[in-house]
Amino acid sequence: MRLYSDMDSAERQFQDLVNRYSERLYWHLRTMVGSHDDADDLLQDVFIKAWKALPGFRGDADIFTWLWRIATNEALGFLRRAKVRSILTFRSLDGEALSVPDTDAPLDAEQAAARLQKAIASLPPKQRAVFHMRYYEEMAYEQISRITGTSVGALKASYHFAYEKIKQYVLEEN
Amino acid sequence: MKKKIPYSTPDGYFEALKRRLSDIPAEHRTQARPLGAKWVPYLALASFFAAAVVLGNLFLSGTTGRGGATEDEIVEYLIDSGTTLAQLYEYNF
Repeated sequence: MRLYSDMDSAERQFQDLVNRYSERLYWHLRTMVGSHDDADDLLQDVFIKAWKALPGFRGDADIFTWLWRIATNEALGFLRRAKVRSILTFRSLDGEALSVPDTDAPLDAEQAAARLQKAIASLPPKQRAVFHMRYYEEMAYEQISRITGTSVGALKASYHFAYEKIKQYVLEEN
Repeated sequence: MKKKIPYSTPDGYFEALKRRLSDIPAEHRTQARPLGAKWVPYLALASFFAAAVVLGNLFLSGTTGRGGATEDEIVEYLIDSGTTLAQLYEYNF
């Protein structure tokens, strides 16, 4: 993506980012945090950070990777804070993480997808992020590695564990 | 996105979202700093350290009370620190 020098051009570039990536980033955040309102708030924060950091963005870096890294870090930070809050209030997070709507899924395929989503919600946050990027976004491990800063080998192990846990979860549900 | 995620959003959400996000540059272009704003970072830093001490104590006592790290946390740590799948299976994870 071409970088612009003046403010109007920066706004055009920002608008371009919003149009191209906001929906995909929303689904990434939604998969990670579960709640629509939380995903919406986090997405707003992601784009505020992106706007503030845009002047310093290096043209040689991949802007898609850069945005996904911001979003993933925001979601992991949010989940860490939620975990601390749950400890402080002696409340379990499991119920919230698994609050996936499945009553409004009329088709078997949608019910199966909802069950899969519940299984994903039961994963630890980092595995959830890796699974979403690999399974839903079909990103290459090398790209996920650039986003998360984790080695390809560790990502493969993480995805493998996530896959096995999801399989086990779905089998137990059945 | 090729695979469907079974979550729903309010009608017209993404159109409204794009309009709202597009307002960010205008909202963050010129914001006057209120009186005393220069002290805010220092106060925030002091509050952060105070909160860190309190939360750290509570978190550690909470963790100890729950019997230490979960298996998921141990596996994540081992994966992040470069342990191979073969080794993990050897440890019965």
